[in-house]
Amino acid sequence: MTVNAIPTGDQARRLVANRVLLTLWVAALLGCVWLPFAAMAPNRLVSGEAINLAAALTTWQAATLALLALLLALAALARPLSAEQGLRLTLAVAPLTLLLTLYALGDYAARALVEASPVARVSQGAAFWVLVFCTLLMIVDAFQRLRAPLWVGGAYGLALAAAIAGLFASGQFNALSILREYFNIQDAFIAQLLTHLRLVALALTPALAIGLPLGLLAHRRPALRGSLFGTLNFFQTIPSIALFALLVAPLSALGDSFPLLRALGIKGIGAAPAIIALIMYSLLPVVRNTHAGFAGVAAATLEAARGMGMTRRQVLWRVEIPLALPVILSGLRIVTVQAIGLTVVAALIGAGGLGAFVFQGLGQYAIDLVLLGAVPTIALAVIADFLLQILVAISRPAGGR
Amino acid sequence: MARMGKSLGLAVGVALTLGQVMAADPLRVASKVDTEGALLGNMLIALLEDAGYPVENKLQLGPTNIVRTALLEGEIDLYPEYTGNGAFFSNTTDDKAWKDAEAGYRKVRDWDREKNGIVWLEPAPANNTWAIAVKQSLAEKNDLSSMADFSQWVNDGGGVKLAASAEFVESQAALPSFQEAYGFTLSQDQLLVLSGGNTAATIRAAAEGTSGTNAAMVYGTDGAIKPAGLKVMEDTQGVQMVYEPTVAMREQVLEANPQLPELFEPVFASLDRETLQELNSKIQVDGLPAKQVARDYLEANGFLD
Repeated sequence: MTVNAIPTGDQARRLVANRVLLTLWVAALLGCVWLPFAAMAPNRLVSGEAINLAAALTTWQAATLALLALLLALAALARPLSAEQGLRLTLAVAPLTLLLTLYALGDYAARALVEASPVARVSQGAAFWVLVFCTLLMIVDAFQRLRAPLWVGGAYGLALAAAIAGLFASGQFNALSILREYFNIQDAFIAQLLTHLRLVALALTPALAIGLPLGLLAHRRPALRGSLFGTLNFFQTIPSIALFALLVAPLSALGDSFPLLRALGIKGIGAAPAIIALIMYSLLPVVRNTHAGFAGVAAATLEAARGMGMTRRQVLWRVEIPLALPVILSGLRIVTVQAIGLTVVAALIGAGGLGAFVFQGLGQYAIDLVLLGAVPTIALAVIADFLLQILVAISRPAGGR
Repeated sequence: MARMGKSLGLAVGVALTLGQVMAADPLRVASKVDTEGALLGNMLIALLEDAGYPVENKLQLGPTNIVRTALLEGEIDLYPEYTGNGAFFSNTTDDKAWKDAEAGYRKVRDWDREKNGIVWLEPAPANNTWAIAVKQSLAEKNDLSSMADFSQWVNDGGGVKLAASAEFVESQAALPSFQEAYGFTLSQDQLLVLSGGNTAATIRAAAEGTSGTNAAMVYGTDGAIKPAGLKVMEDTQGVQMVYEPTVAMREQVLEANPQLPELFEPVFASLDRETLQELNSKIQVDGLPAKQVARDYLEANGFLD
C-alpha cells in the first residue's frame, strides 16, 4: 500500500469546501435518526411518548426536507459549486430548512391532538432543537465566511425573524404545549418582559455611571488598580443566587432603621436588592474594559496631542475617549448580555421579570413554562448583543478598520 | 464619589417609589410561587374584584420567606399562607400545638397579631402537610394504606425507594419524625434526594420510576397524586404538623376593610382536601390557567355575584 492511497489533507479539502457546514449537516442527520422530534404526553405532568421525525412528518414534508438536506450537502462540497456559491446556497436553503422544521412541528401537534384528550400535550423533542440549532449555526457560519457587512446580516436576520413571527401569527404553533402555556400567562407575559428590561436598564445606568470613572481612575492611578480589581473580582465570584439572597437581610435592616431610605425604595425584597446585585456584577467588565481602552491608546498619540498644545481635558475628550470607545463599548456589550441573563434569578427575591416563569415552571415541573421564561431571555440577549456589536463597529475610528 | 453615589441612590429610589405611590390605594394581593398559591391567590383577587375592591396583582411573588417578608414590611397587604408555617415564623417548631389543626391555628393567630400585627383568618379544612405516597399498584399488592402499614412493609424488606427533597429528608419535622414515630429507617440507597426538589418533581419521579423510585414525598392537597397513580399513606398518629391554608393580612388592611373576613372565610370553609386536590390538578396536570380554575370554582359554588 502506498501513502498516496490514503486521502491527504489536501485531497479532503478538495472534496469538501466547508467542513463546518458538513459537520453541522452530519450532526443534524444523526440527531434526526437517534433523537425524538416531538413528544406526545397524556397530560401536562408526565413525560410524553417519543415521536421520531419519520412518524411526525407528512410525505410532502419529508420529501421537501430530504431535498433541502441534499442541497445543503451540495453546498458543503467543493464541486460543482464554488466556495462562494456554496455559501450563498447555504444562506438560501438553511432558513428554508429551519422554517420547514418549525412548520412541521406545529403541523404534527395539530394533527396529533385532533383525536386526543383535551389535556394531552405535544412538545418539541431533542431532534427539533438539533435541527433548529444546526440550521442557525449554518447561517451564522456562512455569514462569517462571506465577510458580509453587519447590516446585511441584520437585514437577513430581520427577514428570517419576520417569517417566523408570521408562522406564529398564523396560529401554526397554537396546538403546541409551549403556546398553550403562553396563552395561560399571556396577561403577565408582556408585563414581566418589561419588568425584566427595566431591571436591566436600572442596573446598567448606575453601573456605567460608577464604572466608567473607576476605570479611568484605575488607568490614571496604577497603585489603586490591584485592590480595585481585586474587590470587583470578588463580587464576580459570588454565585448569583447567593448574592441576591445575601442582600435581602442587610437591606431589610437598613430600610427598617431608616424610614427615609425605605420610602426611597431601599427594601429587602423586590427591585432594590436585584438592582444592587446586578450593579455589583456589572462593575468588573465595565471597569476592566474602560481601563483596557485607555491603556490601549498609544503613547505616541498622546505625545502628539500634547505637542499640538491640547490641554489635559482636550486630550481626554478628543483623543483618549474616542480611541478607547470601541473597547469600552465591548465591555458594555458583555455586561448587557450578562445582566439580561442574571436578571432571571431576580424573580426569586420578588423582583419579577422573565425568571418568574422559569421558577413557576420549575415548581410545577412544566418544562414548557420554564422555556417561556428562558427562550425570550436568550432572544433578548442575542438581540442586545447584535445591536451593541453594531455600535462597537460604528465607534471604531475610520483608520483602524 | 460620595455625592454621586447619593444622587444615584436617590434616582434609583425615586424610580422605584414612583410605581409604589401610584399603587398605594388598591389591595395588594400576593401568593407563593407554587400551584396552590396561584389557585388561592386568584380566588382572593376574583372575590375582591367581584366585591368592587381595587386590586393590585402581585401573585407568584416568590418562595415563602420572600412573601412573608413582603407582608411584614408592608409591601403587600394579604396572601394565602399555611397555619403550620407559624411554627417556623415564631421559631417554636417543638410545640405540640402545631400538630393539632385547631390549636395550631389559634397559636399562630394570637402570636402573629400581637407580635407583628398580622391577622390570620379561619383556615380551610384541608391539611397540606408532608406525606408519603406509594405507587397505587404497589399499595394494592402489599395492602398499604397507612404509615403503620408502610413501616411494616419497609421493615419486612419491602423494596421501597422514596423520591424526596433534601429538606424533607433532613428537616427533623419531616422524614425523621415519621421514622421515629412509626419505627422504620430508610437507608441512603432507599432515597432519591432531589435537592430543592418540590413535589411535582418527586411525584413525577415516582410515577415514572426514575432511578427505580416507587414512592414520593407529597403534600396533602397535591393535584398530581391521583393522576400520577400514587396513594397517600395516612398519618394516623398525627406525626406531621398541620398546614391548613388561610389568608394572612395586615391589621391595618383589615381595619380599613372590615368586611374582608366575610368575603373570604365561606370560600375557604368550602375548600376541603379533595376539592383542593381536584382544583390543583386542573392547573398542574390539565394545564388550565389558574385564574380560570379559580373563577370557575367560585362561580359554580355561588361565591361570585
